[in-house]
Amino acid sequence: MSLFFKKSIIAATGLFLCIFLIVHLSANMLLLLPENLARGLYNSYSTTLRESILISIIAYLLYISIIFHVIYAGIVTYKNRQSKGVRNVMNHKNENSSWASQNMGVLGVLILIFIVVHLVNFWARVKLGIGENVKTDVAGNMDVYEVTFTLFHNIYYVIFYSILMIPLGFHLHHGLKSAFKTLGFYHKKGLKILAKTSLIYAVVMSVGFGIIPIIVYFK
Amino acid sequence: MKVTFKIWRQEGLETQGALKTYDVDRLSEDMSFLEALDHLNETLVLKNEKVIAFESDCREGICGACGVFINGRAHGPHDNMSTCQLHMRSFKDGDTIVVEPWRAGTFPIVKDLVVDRSAFDRIIEQGAYITAKTGTAAEANAILIPKEVADASMDVAACIGCGACVATCKNASAALFVSAKINHLNKLPQGQPEAHKRLLEMTTQMELENFGSCTFTAACEVECPAEISINSIAEMNARYVKAKLFG
Amino acid sequence: MMLDSKIPEGKLEDKWRNYQAQSHLINPANKKKLNIIVVGSGLAGAGAAATLAEMGYVIQCFCYQDSARRAHSVAAQGGINAAKNYQHDGDSVWRMFYDTLKGGDFRSREANTYRLAELSAPLIDHFVQQGVPFAREYGGVLANRSFGGVQVQRTFYARGQTGQQLILAAYSQLSKMIRAKKVEMLPRHEVLDIVVINGKAKGVIVRDLATGEIKRFAADAVVLATGGYSRVFRLSTLAIGCNGSAIWKAHKRGAFFAAPSFTQIHPTALPQTSEAQSKLTLMSESLRNDGRIWVAKKMDDERKAKDIPEEERDYYLERRYPSFGNLAPRDIASRAAKERIDAGHGVGQLKNAVYLDFKHAINKFGKPVIEDKYGNLFTMYEKITGINAYQEPMKISPAAHFSMGGLWVDYELMTTIPGLYAIGECNYSDHGANRLGANSLLQTSIDGYFILPNTINNYLEGEIGQKHPGVEHPEFAHVENEVKVQINKILEINGNRTADDFHRELGKVMWQECAMSRNRKGLEKAIVQIKVIKEQFWKDVKVTGNNNEMNTELEKALRLADFIELAILMCTDALQRDESCGAHFREEYQTEDGEAVRNDDDFKYVSVWEYNEGHFKLHKELLEFEYVQPTVRSYK
Repeated sequence: MSLFFKKSIIAATGLFLCIFLIVHLSANMLLLLPENLARGLYNSYSTTLRESILISIIAYLLYISIIFHVIYAGIVTYKNRQSKGVRNVMNHKNENSSWASQNMGVLGVLILIFIVVHLVNFWARVKLGIGENVKTDVAGNMDVYEVTFTLFHNIYYVIFYSILMIPLGFHLHHGLKSAFKTLGFYHKKGLKILAKTSLIYAVVMSVGFGIIPIIVYFK
Repeated sequence: MKVTFKIWRQEGLETQGALKTYDVDRLSEDMSFLEALDHLNETLVLKNEKVIAFESDCREGICGACGVFINGRAHGPHDNMSTCQLHMRSFKDGDTIVVEPWRAGTFPIVKDLVVDRSAFDRIIEQGAYITAKTGTAAEANAILIPKEVADASMDVAACIGCGACVATCKNASAALFVSAKINHLNKLPQGQPEAHKRLLEMTTQMELENFGSCTFTAACEVECPAEISINSIAEMNARYVKAKLFG
Repeated sequence: MMLDSKIPEGKLEDKWRNYQAQSHLINPANKKKLNIIVVGSGLAGAGAAATLAEMGYVIQCFCYQDSARRAHSVAAQGGINAAKNYQHDGDSVWRMFYDTLKGGDFRSREANTYRLAELSAPLIDHFVQQGVPFAREYGGVLANRSFGGVQVQRTFYARGQTGQQLILAAYSQLSKMIRAKKVEMLPRHEVLDIVVINGKAKGVIVRDLATGEIKRFAADAVVLATGGYSRVFRLSTLAIGCNGSAIWKAHKRGAFFAAPSFTQIHPTALPQTSEAQSKLTLMSESLRNDGRIWVAKKMDDERKAKDIPEEERDYYLERRYPSFGNLAPRDIASRAAKERIDAGHGVGQLKNAVYLDFKHAINKFGKPVIEDKYGNLFTMYEKITGINAYQEPMKISPAAHFSMGGLWVDYELMTTIPGLYAIGECNYSDHGANRLGANSLLQTSIDGYFILPNTINNYLEGEIGQKHPGVEHPEFAHVENEVKVQINKILEINGNRTADDFHRELGKVMWQECAMSRNRKGLEKAIVQIKVIKEQFWKDVKVTGNNNEMNTELEKALRLADFIELAILMCTDALQRDESCGAHFREEYQTEDGEAVRNDDDFKYVSVWEYNEGHFKLHKELLEFEYVQPTVRSYK
């Protein structure tokens, strides 16, 4: 398989995950509503997600995307390191490229750690039933709101969740524009717009996800 | 002016190399960086030492022969400039200047600061040409090429083949070089008949040579003496998709 | 030995066609059995190697650089001439022929010069086909600009990188034939001597620059395409590695050397700023299209350029040559600059430059237009000098540039050694005593692509039956040994001076006595001085390192050893020519207002030198002008 193809898989899965994040963040915004509204809406939303076949398919796509994104990023990074061989004694990379672009692998690993913890906290409990039982709310839906609420009243989790949104932002900022170019988007003006869009997107995602645990903590 | 050079010395591919320190005096700000190395070499000769091997030829930024890593940057501290165009006025009296060869698995060291860039030639051999024999051309103006197209082609055709893009890339990717050559010909009407074949064969060779893949750090476009934009790589990718789908 | 220039019969317009019609052909099966060595991979070498390979010959091509693409053709900036008459300004093959002949001050063969003009138009077709992104008009047709010494617009260009784009095209064709396994490319290989067996060129002795190994290569014919030798002045616009070693060794083995003293001094290079300088960067002559050259009227004017009012500026080219103005030919522009500098009007730190001013052009056309035309040259200027030429004038100065002289060749581009050809800048053929701007890329390409592939068959046809003897022939061992002896000798001297030090000394003598203006006394003195340098060199040079490794210091010294000997011949040649013509200006022969005085009665010949044990014997190839009467070359 050509390098271009491997790189395209990373780009395409990355873009898919970017779209997912938008949906994810929009839903999470429900958490910011007053508690009486938020609990009902959020729980019925998560029940809908769990019961829809379409969403299930998309969920599997999501798992596959994450797995492929990680595996191929690993393969390509390994190959690239091996291509480079011996490194320079002195290298002032910061003068010719952004820090994020030089450290996508490190950022990716941090995000992966986050995802694992995040899945253990929610997905494992709600979907797989591992760990403490999840209660149901008045409407009979699983009370995911309560899970979230409890979690984000643990200061360590709040710090963990919020801090790790910073590497996410950097990763998205470089990843989004890079993915487009990898897939062959080269329209000159379009690329300028893309650069700005990537920045805005990354800031919104990073701040959006990052601020929720803090707000919930003070609720 | 006086500076301290720390220069990579290595007898050959198989031997160990190391940075060696040289204090060099009696330099002037108007000297080019390479002239400072010349000067150092002359003093080495008189001290009965072997000269530092480095490459340079035209010394006006067009042949692409020169190229070393200076203080952690390909071609030195300025953007879009070749080593031969760097002058000592860019350094301060008393500075320490670290000089290393291009680093990439595909550019093995020949001696000291000289590396073997023949991988570039082998990529060019895989199709960076138009298959037409001498003496078979039609009247030049029979092919009309809009100014915008000719200019865009020229923008990338300006590549001097120095290898700074590979040297500065953390992945040792040759994507900027290869894309420049492919886009130069594939943008022009003359290049159309072989466009897909050229692209696929050249990119295949690029991989066979063990260059890494582009992750768009954009370091290359900052160091490229010919100011070739990284968009050229995106364009090559688009052409790649097209060639795969319709080629 | 009689010099037979082999000019074909017929009218001027028909000569090349007649020649082609009558020359021998070789069938494809036989071509496969013949191999040709091409030395150099510039436009001439790469063009010839690719074309000869396409025809079916087996080629080995050498260059000293790490890649064929770096040959110094790459540095030609301004453009390439062709008599296309796209501008509808009265251009024609005849006019181009006449301009070139006149530009060369009537010291070249009519038939050669005509052929150059005749083949110029198909060459542009050829390069367009190969994908050269020449400048275009909005409608898609090719654009032109004008160059020094002509009054029409016939120069085709690709920004300020025309040479680069042409050499890349040639290199791409060469690569195509390398892939087809018809050309074996040997970069980092420097030819150190020519092997002549039974009077015919049969091979070369080569040093592998990466390992130091001395290798032998045999062939049925040897083509030298090694470029110019202006590095003899040390400071020149040439690349650091450019050398005259292969042609000098060929000369010593029997190839005659023609007009060695005809070297062009380019008027628009960047001035020297320090003793340690290694080269002078050229600024394209095309800048003279829009830039105006001037100095202050007052001597030693210390004011800044912008503080000198218009009426106190001396636009000396416009003053002296009103009809050509700033576009006067190179030799004239250089000399005029030297005259002003010597008279105390020079500008810059070392008072060795003149101004090239774009103020008027920027006012008239606006900055974007100037930027579009010359942007990369302005950028280059700023990179080197740190000065923004949109705001203040450039400082330029004359610099050694092109060698019109070179190995003598006949109409077939063969030297006086059968089977040894010289193409491109290393021969003496079309330019006479001065080359016009943008004719260099033209001549070198035409030699390689169009002429040699048509003429070499004539010789090789005779070689089909008698395959070359191969590298086992005792003559190869003999020449190889001579090369090794020379290398060992240089390494063993272990003296007190570096090769560069000798080169600087040689350069100073040559620049002083054998450059823009020359005189008997100075030349006689120079010859004595150079002989002393030679003696000193072989006693006192110091080269460290060994032969069996990459040794850049050894390369320098070997090249310099040949330059020193060549310099003696250059001065000898300048001394015998008691006239001023083209780039050769003898102070004794000038008018009252400093214009050159040519002497057609006594010097209407090409001086051709034969080497004989350290002495040079003069032969004369008389020039006959059947179609054009030599006139006084005036650009006033």
